[in-house]
Amino acid sequence: MHRKILAVGIAAAALFLTSCSSSTGEAAPEPAPAASEAAPEPAPAASEPAPAASEEPVSAATMDDSDCAAPANICVGLVTDTGKVDDKSFNQAAWEGTKLAAEELGAFSKYIETTDPKDYANNIAQFAGKSYDVIVTVGFLMGEATIAAAAEYPSVKFIGVDQFQGEPIENLAGLVFDESKAGYAVGYLAGLMTKTNKIGSALGTDTVPPVKLFGEGYKAGALAANPDVKVTLVYHEPNNAFGDPEWGANEARKQLDQGADIIFAAGGATGNGGLIEVAKDPGAGTTVFCIGVDIDQFYTVPQAAKCLLTSAEKKLVSGTQTLVVAAAGGSMTPGNNFGPTGIAPYHDTEGAVPEDVKTKVQEVLAGLEDGTIDTGCPACLDN
Amino acid sequence: MRARYAYMLTIVILSFILLAYVLDATRTVSVLSFSLRYAVPLILAAMVGVICERSGVINIGIEGQMLMSAFAGFFGAALTGNLIVGTMIGVGTGMIMGAFLATGAVTWKMDQIIAGTIINILATGLTSFFYAQGYVLPAITPQLRIPGLADIPLIGPVLFDNGLFTYAAIASAFVLWILLFKTIWGLRTRAVGEMPGSADTSGVNVQRMRFLNVTFAGALAGLAGAYLSIEAASNFDRGMTAGRGFTALAIMIFGAWNPIGAMAAALFFGLANGLASQLQTDEVIDIPPQFINMLPYVLTIVLLAIVSGRIKPPAAVGKPYEKE
Amino acid sequence: MSVTDPSQTDLGHTDPDPMRAGRWPRVQAVAIPVVSVLLAFALGGILIWLQGVNPFYAYWVLFENALGSSEGLLRVMQKSTPLILTGLAVTIGLRTGLFNIGAQGQLLVGAIGAAWAGYNFQLPALIHIPFAIAFGMLCGAAWASIAGVLRAYRSVSEVITTIMLNAVAIALVDYLASRPLKEPDQPITRTPPVADSAALPDFGTVPAGFLIALAVAIFFSWFLTRTNQGFRFNTVGMNPNAANYAGIGVKRTIFLAMAVSGALAGLGGAVETLGITGRFEPTFNAGLGFDGITIALLARANPLATIPAALLVGILRSGAATLQFETGIEPEVVDVILALTLLFVAAPIVSRLLLRKKTQKRTSVDSGGGGV
Repeated sequence: MHRKILAVGIAAAALFLTSCSSSTGEAAPEPAPAASEAAPEPAPAASEPAPAASEEPVSAATMDDSDCAAPANICVGLVTDTGKVDDKSFNQAAWEGTKLAAEELGAFSKYIETTDPKDYANNIAQFAGKSYDVIVTVGFLMGEATIAAAAEYPSVKFIGVDQFQGEPIENLAGLVFDESKAGYAVGYLAGLMTKTNKIGSALGTDTVPPVKLFGEGYKAGALAANPDVKVTLVYHEPNNAFGDPEWGANEARKQLDQGADIIFAAGGATGNGGLIEVAKDPGAGTTVFCIGVDIDQFYTVPQAAKCLLTSAEKKLVSGTQTLVVAAAGGSMTPGNNFGPTGIAPYHDTEGAVPEDVKTKVQEVLAGLEDGTIDTGCPACLDN
Repeated sequence: MRARYAYMLTIVILSFILLAYVLDATRTVSVLSFSLRYAVPLILAAMVGVICERSGVINIGIEGQMLMSAFAGFFGAALTGNLIVGTMIGVGTGMIMGAFLATGAVTWKMDQIIAGTIINILATGLTSFFYAQGYVLPAITPQLRIPGLADIPLIGPVLFDNGLFTYAAIASAFVLWILLFKTIWGLRTRAVGEMPGSADTSGVNVQRMRFLNVTFAGALAGLAGAYLSIEAASNFDRGMTAGRGFTALAIMIFGAWNPIGAMAAALFFGLANGLASQLQTDEVIDIPPQFINMLPYVLTIVLLAIVSGRIKPPAAVGKPYEKE
Repeated sequence: MSVTDPSQTDLGHTDPDPMRAGRWPRVQAVAIPVVSVLLAFALGGILIWLQGVNPFYAYWVLFENALGSSEGLLRVMQKSTPLILTGLAVTIGLRTGLFNIGAQGQLLVGAIGAAWAGYNFQLPALIHIPFAIAFGMLCGAAWASIAGVLRAYRSVSEVITTIMLNAVAIALVDYLASRPLKEPDQPITRTPPVADSAALPDFGTVPAGFLIALAVAIFFSWFLTRTNQGFRFNTVGMNPNAANYAGIGVKRTIFLAMAVSGALAGLGGAVETLGITGRFEPTFNAGLGFDGITIALLARANPLATIPAALLVGILRSGAATLQFETGIEPEVVDVILALTLLFVAAPIVSRLLLRKKTQKRTSVDSGGGGV
């Protein structure tokens, strides 16, 4: 479920992988690129050998995972949470980060999509059984299975995306984010931008902590920017919380009808439905706006580009990439690795945001970064 | 007896709506619009159920029919770059799925529940298997504001400022009611569902009637699916029907196998959901959202328990027809 | 599927299941499902081939992973266990003329009930395990009884109520696991782990839950054919009017059948919680109850046949991930294969192929003794 809260899609990665994937020798099918039009990425040459390799490795282009056992060959595997690698969200972001890392390392990479949470351990074992060097597991639900696997396969490096670590384990790094910071930043922006003093949201279920952190952060940020603003947080029921775009659209429309002029949509396909609905409004981009989540949704939901102010970002792609590279190079830090959060570029709504607002939001981002601004979370989870 | 309950309930609800409108017009209108939009696919899907069951065929595969149509409609529209073509493809897919059910349940005399279940599983598997990312609709569906009528307070903005699918859904209920109860086709359909033996004796081709009705009902499931992917979400996502096909089945029974009744039930359900969402929005009461969200379902159960026992399904529903 | 007086509604076929009535020779009863499975795999193979993968290799990978090692076998049995039980839950309903779409909700309620009983008490294992299982079954039975009472005494269709109760159960267990029964000091919506004394063990490579499921399936096969109560279930399912005349308390029987059905689904949830997941966590139980409908239909409402049906589904589901790992084929291909299997089992295509007899007027199977 959690997978879907994030919406992903880094166009850079998209183009990058279309151009390189054939040479990475992936067996897994390629998700279609989310948005290939805006990819400013200078991709390194696909066949570039891994710089760290001391002896001549099998070229990533020709290798398959039967070669993983050889020390010179680096293999990176990814196990999705119950979801697909083309979910425009969480799993996709982690996979794109993994692929970027594999490119950088000249490594082989492959994924398995989990269909039943009870298969977590087995899916991890598929990779471990073939002597993969680094295994990325996605989503906090897989946290325990990853800890167990880390104990069972001490020679494999594990990266748990969104998995908060208690006691640090030598071969396991958790990539975690403080969603409330990103939520606070976009809330602050919304609080400054609203003309009606009403802002709304269409959110996945509050039983998934990151969603609630986004929501509560958004509210706190908006109130900090503008004490008069009325913030509406509406969560989907837990059942199918991230797969109900019609509800997201309907909820967004209702709040617009009630005078809200900015909608924060956070909840996988449910949230995407909300974004697209706001974009359909005649005032989209001039009087009403939408805010995406997790990754720059300008690329993942191009239909919403018109109204999309920004997205509350967890830098999943770069976070995953950095950790995978570190893990393969032996410089991984066990325990929690806090990934960066922030807000995406304004893109098409650049002109609609006044310069002083941009400046203030920058200050808030800096304050969040250095800790001088408190979002009230994670204590807010008890609300 | 039951009719009286229904009228009373309708009057009570309408009074509340009026009162709410007087107190806060904007909020009332927006909640009602939410409810109507929520009800649109449910109305269409419930009509599928009404036609099929009135003809004596249980259609438990509405969910799958909708999902396949949502899939085909969306990708049809995205690939051809034309919303109308996409919608037609969605409707056509619905009819194919309808014919699929008809072939199994009518021609082959398969168990009807199994035939429907196959559609559901097949739809989940195929749409997931063939899903591809990165497709976008060429345009958004137009809204049709009916001049004059849309200016009426309360009713106007709710009922007469909508997308075409919404009008189609409301019209489908009325048209189907007339067809069922005022035409020869309706008479025959009901006969086929109630007393297929007698219908056969009086010269109605039971098998043919059932086959055609189930197939054409599929077109409405197609419309419901196309509504979800082309109008409501402007996107296709795996499993996006989210159980609405099953809810529609309940709504059909709730509405006593009557198109108008089913539409009223769908609207009631929409209203309950609209209220649930508004209660959350306004933070009037601090209770866990899970409770607010289960409210419509609990209400439905309670209501059914109160007004139960007086609604009967068509007598021959579920039974393949065997010529004597 | 009716809202009327149960005695008024015989919505199923009046002729009994040909298989059980002995109209089909046993060979055909086995041959048809087997040929159906083969045909479904053949068509699934075409789908795989279209994706550029050798279907023989793909199937070899799938089965090799599921059956080729003791871990694989263990996983298949683990996956089949709740499916057998929810399949039985739906089967009992079908045999009594009830369509219990609510197995999913009953399973969830049973699962969280067993989890609570499992973590909240410290008891010797010999008492704790049966207690936690029984409590889960009780929760499932109670949940189904809401629909049972309404159907039996208020004539409300169990189809609607169980659909509604599924939605309510999903919200309810989510509430429970996120607030009152939540494991403290961590953010995930889940209960604390069950005590070791409540955990179901594995006997070698055979999980205890699987043995329970087998025993229950055998018991209900005996129960439905050899006991008075079983006879009442069947009679009410086939012909409530006749049952009424025969002096069988139709309402009581319907209520009872629904409660038993719920208890079985609850048992599925309990065994899953105590044997596999070790705690209640909402997403871990997704779809098990709905799969029960598929299993019951594949097994044609025959309790013993739920075992091979569940094993087939278990093999397909547990092999799907490896299939993707080795060949890149999307795991959803197994859903397509399953749907096709159900189609061939249920539709007269295969039987016409096998039996070219005129007497075989109706070769299809129905969803149970009573239909729906």
